[in-house]
Amino acid sequence: MPAERRFGMDHPHYDWSPLNTRGILRWPDNARVALCVIVNLEHPEWDPPADSFTTPFSGGLGARGFPDYARLSHREYGHRVGIFRVLDTLRKHGIPATVAMDAMTAENYPYLVRHCQEAGAEIIGHGVSLSQMISSNMSEDAEREYISQSVAALTRATGSAPAGWLGPEYGESNRTPQLLSEAGLRYVCDWVNDEQPYPLHSPHGEMFTLPVMWELDDVSALWERRVVVGRYQQLLEESFETLYEDGQQNGRVMALNLHPWLIGQPFRIGYLDRALGLMMRRGGVWAATGSQIVDWYRDNPPTA
Amino acid sequence: MPLPPNRVDYSPIIDRPVIKWPNDARVALWIAPNVEHYEYEPEFDGHRDPWPRMPYPDVQQYSYRDYGNRVGFWRMADVLDKHDIRCCVSLNMAVLEHFPEIGEAMVQRNWDFMSHGIYNTRYLNHYTEEQEREFYRDTIDTLKQHTGKQLKGMLGPAISGTERTPDLMAEAGLIYHTDWMHDDQPVPIRVESGKLVSVPYSIELNDAPLFRQHYEGDYFAEICKAQFDQLYQEGAHSGRVMCIALHPYLIGQPHRARYLDDVLGYIMSHDGVWQTTADDIAEYYIANYYDEAMAHAAKLNG
Repeated sequence: MPAERRFGMDHPHYDWSPLNTRGILRWPDNARVALCVIVNLEHPEWDPPADSFTTPFSGGLGARGFPDYARLSHREYGHRVGIFRVLDTLRKHGIPATVAMDAMTAENYPYLVRHCQEAGAEIIGHGVSLSQMISSNMSEDAEREYISQSVAALTRATGSAPAGWLGPEYGESNRTPQLLSEAGLRYVCDWVNDEQPYPLHSPHGEMFTLPVMWELDDVSALWERRVVVGRYQQLLEESFETLYEDGQQNGRVMALNLHPWLIGQPFRIGYLDRALGLMMRRGGVWAATGSQIVDWYRDNPPTA
Repeated sequence: MPLPPNRVDYSPIIDRPVIKWPNDARVALWIAPNVEHYEYEPEFDGHRDPWPRMPYPDVQQYSYRDYGNRVGFWRMADVLDKHDIRCCVSLNMAVLEHFPEIGEAMVQRNWDFMSHGIYNTRYLNHYTEEQEREFYRDTIDTLKQHTGKQLKGMLGPAISGTERTPDLMAEAGLIYHTDWMHDDQPVPIRVESGKLVSVPYSIELNDAPLFRQHYEGDYFAEICKAQFDQLYQEGAHSGRVMCIALHPYLIGQPHRARYLDDVLGYIMSHDGVWQTTADDIAEYYIANYYDEAMAHAAKLNG
């Protein structure tokens, strides 16, 4: 509904809080930057349900007519090839992966689930499929069922319920944070509006946002904005330098959202490797999973 | 059972039978010029508009493509000759009928050919089964008649197809399909009869999507070299495929051809490169690895 003209946010999910008025956030060992790398494993359906909603695959090839072998298989490249390059690169730099995995991947790619777990990744909820976003088109019951389906698939596949959530294509309705919290999730990565975690309001228990840098999302930069890949490396490095400087005063989080079908292509992976290498050679960087960052934040909230 | 379209068993690249290319090459490199003709006044199929800018004809866009056949092809061929490249052309078969000099130039060079349909303005998506069967007969016969070569593979015209396409290709005797962007090695594609594989083509190392955006030749050279470096490194363990896809109207522009020269000079200066064609990659893979790959994937997928 349209905003009422009054102080604060025009929705109930969190409080207005400009960064310059906050207390000081200290990371473990006084790190300046908490680095979190989220890796998307998501499946585009051949023939999605008629009532499902999606963006025109934000990123990925332009649609050709059905059956679109090229576009769907370009995405599948991530599952067959790209993911292993990305995880190898993270391991090389000692960065634990946070894998956002949709239900269709969890159910149909047991090898990948096992591989991610063996790599020490945290696996977080990522909806049912890339072709079924959460949106306000869904009824409350349908959305609850959707979240439950995703959580159940991950729980079956991994042996434990996910703590975190990233909606396919960052999709939410105006109810999503509360429904995620009701389903037992503790943090969500859909909101790209901060450089620190922050609490969400929920009647169902503690819930936090782990904000992602949208401009540094590889789909946003490399595909939608067509940034050349060498310049993308620089964007990562320049962002890091600024956060590293600002993080000396007040801890920052740098959460990158990456897609193996894109950044995992042979000609791109080296640029990511070099950017992460620059970051991890620096002291005062805490590479951590989403849960580790959110749990630390909960236990060590900013102090005046 | 694989996910729809139920054609490809999941097989992670880190857990597969090791591929050894001839002479222990690390990378099988194939160059795929798309030699095309777009019709001046095509028939709109009601779904995909070949010239969406304006009522037909669109002389600017038509002649931009036609430049490729009149000028660009020849400049591109000079660069390819300089590096002794034997191409596998993605060919609109009607080019052989309209522009025989191009056909002769390709035959003289002993290039291979995969079908890219008849015209780049006629798409498969809405073909009936019988129309699609006739389409394969036509492309096979036309290629045979003008080049003496047996057709072995296809990149769908403008990368179009139907749900039946892999089955009907295999039925017509074709052995590879390059519409799949899913891997850096050939992959078996399930079909009703016969054997069909995907051979990695590239929608990224491809002058058409690149140069329709703001990218230019120097960037094309940069990413081609980076792609090669990565695959060359990985190919020391198990062979990889690298494809560079070209369009003469784009790469043959006077300001761009030099970057193709640069890329090919770089790659071909390495040992361990099997400069080959999609025909040869598909045949080699089917002869040596197809059965093993199928068995391995079946075991992995339980």
